Amino acid sequence: MEEAFYREAAKMPAVRGDGMRGLAVFISDIRNCKSKEAEVKRINKELANIRSKFKGDKTLDGYQKKKYVCKLLFIFLLGHDIDFGHMEAVNLLSSNKYTEKQIGYLFISVLVNTNSDLIKLIVQSIKNDLSSRNPVHVNLALQCIANIGSKEMADAFGNDIPKLLVSGETMDVVKQSAALCLLRLFRTTQEIIPGGEWTSRIIHLLNDQHMGVVTAACSLIEALVKKNPDEYKGCVSLAVSRLSRIVTASYTDLQDYTYYFVPAPWLSVKLLRLLQHYPPPEDPGVRGRLNECLDTILNKAQEPPKSKKVQHSNAKNAVLFEAISIIIHSDSEPNLLVRACNQLGQFLSHRETNLRYLALETMCLLATSEFSHEAVKKHQETVINALKTERDVSVRQRAVDLLYAMCDRSNAEEIVQEMLNYLETADYSIREEMVLKVAILAEKYAQDYTWYVDVILNLIRIAGDYVSEEVWYRVIQIVVNREDVQGYAAKTVFEALQAPACHENMVKVGGYILGEFGNLIAGDSRSAPAVQFQLLHSKYHLCSAATRALLLTTYIKFINLFPEIKSQIQDVLKSNSNLRSSDAELQQRASEYLHLSITTTTDVLATVLEEMPPFTEKESSILAVLKKKSGRMSAQEAQREARVQARENSTVPLPDKAQIAQLNNSTSADLLGLSTPPASQNSTQSNTGVLVDVLGDLYGGSTTTHNGTTTPATTTSTAGATDNIKKFVCKNNGVLYENDIIQIGIKSEFRQNLGRIGVFYGNKTSMPLQGFLPTVSVGGTQQGKVTVQVKPVEPSIDAGAQVQQLVNCECIEDFLGLPDLTVSFTYGNVPQRLALHLPLSCNKFFEPTDMNGESFFSRWKNLSAPSQEAQKIFKNAGPMENAAIKTKLLGFGMQLLEGIDPNPENFVCAAIIHTRTQQIGCLLRLEPNRQAQMYRLTIRASKESTAHIMAELLAEQF
Amino acid sequence: MIKAILVFNNHGKPRLTKFYQYFNEEMQQQIIKETFQLVSKRDDNVCNFLEGGSLIGGADYKLIYRHYATLYFVFCVDSSESELGILDLIQVFVETLDKCFENVCELDLIFHVDKVHYILNELVMGGMVLETNMTEIITRIDDQNKLEKQEAGLAAAPARAVSAVKNMNLPQQIKDIKLPDLPAAIKDLKF
Repeated sequence: MEEAFYREAAKMPAVRGDGMRGLAVFISDIRNCKSKEAEVKRINKELANIRSKFKGDKTLDGYQKKKYVCKLLFIFLLGHDIDFGHMEAVNLLSSNKYTEKQIGYLFISVLVNTNSDLIKLIVQSIKNDLSSRNPVHVNLALQCIANIGSKEMADAFGNDIPKLLVSGETMDVVKQSAALCLLRLFRTTQEIIPGGEWTSRIIHLLNDQHMGVVTAACSLIEALVKKNPDEYKGCVSLAVSRLSRIVTASYTDLQDYTYYFVPAPWLSVKLLRLLQHYPPPEDPGVRGRLNECLDTILNKAQEPPKSKKVQHSNAKNAVLFEAISIIIHSDSEPNLLVRACNQLGQFLSHRETNLRYLALETMCLLATSEFSHEAVKKHQETVINALKTERDVSVRQRAVDLLYAMCDRSNAEEIVQEMLNYLETADYSIREEMVLKVAILAEKYAQDYTWYVDVILNLIRIAGDYVSEEVWYRVIQIVVNREDVQGYAAKTVFEALQAPACHENMVKVGGYILGEFGNLIAGDSRSAPAVQFQLLHSKYHLCSAATRALLLTTYIKFINLFPEIKSQIQDVLKSNSNLRSSDAELQQRASEYLHLSITTTTDVLATVLEEMPPFTEKESSILAVLKKKSGRMSAQEAQREARVQARENSTVPLPDKAQIAQLNNSTSADLLGLSTPPASQNSTQSNTGVLVDVLGDLYGGSTTTHNGTTTPATTTSTAGATDNIKKFVCKNNGVLYENDIIQIGIKSEFRQNLGRIGVFYGNKTSMPLQGFLPTVSVGGTQQGKVTVQVKPVEPSIDAGAQVQQLVNCECIEDFLGLPDLTVSFTYGNVPQRLALHLPLSCNKFFEPTDMNGESFFSRWKNLSAPSQEAQKIFKNAGPMENAAIKTKLLGFGMQLLEGIDPNPENFVCAAIIHTRTQQIGCLLRLEPNRQAQMYRLTIRASKESTAHIMAELLAEQF
Repeated sequence: MIKAILVFNNHGKPRLTKFYQYFNEEMQQQIIKETFQLVSKRDDNVCNFLEGGSLIGGADYKLIYRHYATLYFVFCVDSSESELGILDLIQVFVETLDKCFENVCELDLIFHVDKVHYILNELVMGGMVLETNMTEIITRIDDQNKLEKQEAGLAAAPARAVSAVKNMNLPQQIKDIKLPDLPAAIKDLKF
């Protein structure tokens, strides 16, 4: 059969037996036209002719009508609109000649759309044919209904077709069509399928003698199962036994349904697909039988082929791939999974390109099962090889997908390196997606952020054009948020910029990073301020306006960082090409920056040009782009996504805090899943209202000292999400909790004894979170002391969406502890429950109070009763730096009174707590002992319990 | 589900188009054009699957195609179909055409658009596989042919006689009927 259509020359043009010579002549005419114009002319002539025939007073006989309809069909196929002839076609339907009827139906199936006015007329004709005794006529009618498939059709025939399907008198040919016709109508009108006893009658079609009927019924049942799996549960055992009969049949048993020695391959595939809508059968007998079938299919794959024809191998492997699919879907038989993986491994180096393609695609799913993830990794080399040697871009694309899916912490460096290598020669069509994938993997599995910076800079170097804004924004975000890589990043971009030709994106990243952190490498004479500036400026004239604008900002930042090159930079700002640039943005920046540098004092300049505060951590913007790029994710991909997340979290339901902590430790270096920006001092001072900072305290202690080196950086391992709650004692805004599925952010404000907390729930996944229910409860010790009023939220959060929940609260009297926040929802059918706390601690109701030293100490002495004082002595956990301590005290909500304590090392604070009933004065003294790395904290308050509560709260912050 | 079945020749000229999801005429032509561009630039021995174009479906859709001499057979399907299964279905379709037309060639598809549709209707219905057993399909087509012949024998005989008489002794008219120059038509199939 490979030779079909090769024999053209040997054949005469077929002239129709029934003598429609006019049609043949017309077609030949068209084919002989030498130009498009001539063809259009000939067609218009013919259309005019047909139109006049139809309009003319002479009544046309059936033969003529048929001829003209055929011509119209041909014209339509050539891409010309047909706006008449419909009525004639409808008339043909009621002809008593089969051939005329047939062509009428054909015309309608090709040309009549669902909104046509003709539908009513058509319906009557169909009704007649449907009740015909001739199965050929009935089938014409069924085909027409399926073709139009509209609501009207469902209304008109919703009763007849189900009856036709299950009636004992219906012939097989008709039954088969009725099943698919019903399926088509079901897609438009779901109510069409009657429930009750019909369910079992439809399911039992799987037992029908006729394989064609079973195949059609299987498609119908699959659609019904999708809508209502419970009702059609009964199909599982029937499907398994049918499958078992086919799989164990010898190829002579099924005669005509054996295709190139494979028994009923289509039906087998359909049955296996159907079973994938259910979990593995519970009944051990059915389950055993199914596993036997799968086993047999896997065994047959190892047998020598019964035919050399590609059709044999296609049919056999179609079944095999479907069997592997169901094995992956059940994800419960480690033995079968490993065999499936080995089988796919064999296909990876098969000579048939189609099989290699499918093997790569299917392995992607296998990579997400915990049983087979390791087995898939064994094929890493082959997959990398496929990337290098496959001739077909579709196949290489699958290899990229698989590498992405099989990547984990152990092989990330190698895979990222290979992908980078491939990127240099990759097809243009897949470069952008590859860049995104590399960027995501590098970020996700970075154990060392210098590696991450290297990878991204390499990306820009190799495929700068395909590095979207999101990617280079992201590297900047990470560098800004992670002090430990800032120096390295500055050094690396500086080196990269020395290449004679570097991509504009590199200039952007370089400009930004040097503008922020150029000082960290300025100590080295090779990268002295002037050298940095000249290097950047040497690229300036080659760049677009947007990049130049960015560089101008870098320059003004340099004026702040390196006063010694101020005049050099001012010269550049003054130059005509900037100050009088035709680009309004550049002109404005140049003139504003110039005047800023001339008129302001260094202090003001330093404030204006201060280092950027850390970025808010949300879901990686790159991941969002990748999701958007892949568009509507197929069900398979969505499933894969869900499983990847499940594997990484190793979550099933999350019952308690310990598990949450564990979960977060397992993803500790994962920036995608966990936000780790260091706090900057101003983030707590300025009420910017954005979500800022999570691990403030870990980083708050180490500020950058502007002397050319970085301070020793805190390690990258971070505390889990449960620790975030503690940090909220000293801050009001930030990310409270985050895992791979959800991010919970907090924005809160307090005034006197009242407060309002906005809780933001962000769905990070590509599937909606269902049954979403957050509850806040005020427990034991806080009972009656604090009230909360919670606004309800919608029970579902769409993929990628964020919802806000407002919590109003009032402090009635001082209290210890935090209200509980329980968040429960369902993600991918797995119920999740997070037990958290609402960051509502008693200190939130502090109002800072300023006072001089005299009044502080007089009040201090007034509160000298032992019960009014609480004292704690504790060891320091973080670095003991004044700036960090101040940040905490300010965040705690008290007024920091400077220059009051005789010992300048000590801190004293004052504040009032507002409750509904009273105001409680509160004074604090904190004495750091640097040699011993200890603090002594003393709090005195006008109410006895308050001092103890506050001491408890604050002591945990150090 | 099969969303569309497209057959076009090496020049992108459509020979059979069947959509199982509604698209207006203009869209149909654009889809044919886009699909042709995607498929025709691929080598013959690369794999038979590729991701769908932008017009019909996107990432969840695949084009599964086979190239026979002058014609491409392309099935546009969603992810619920087995790739290899569809590939075999194309083969069944072509084998059936071959049997019905006795050595099928592109011209058969051109001159018998209707018949090709009838054969396809026996294979696929409403976008789902209806029948895959070739013997069964051919029996059904034969049944239809028999009906056609009966009707032609009964009713068409007088009509044919009339037209035969009409056309007799009219040499000029016969000359005017341009029968295609066959070899040329094959050499530069210009649609």
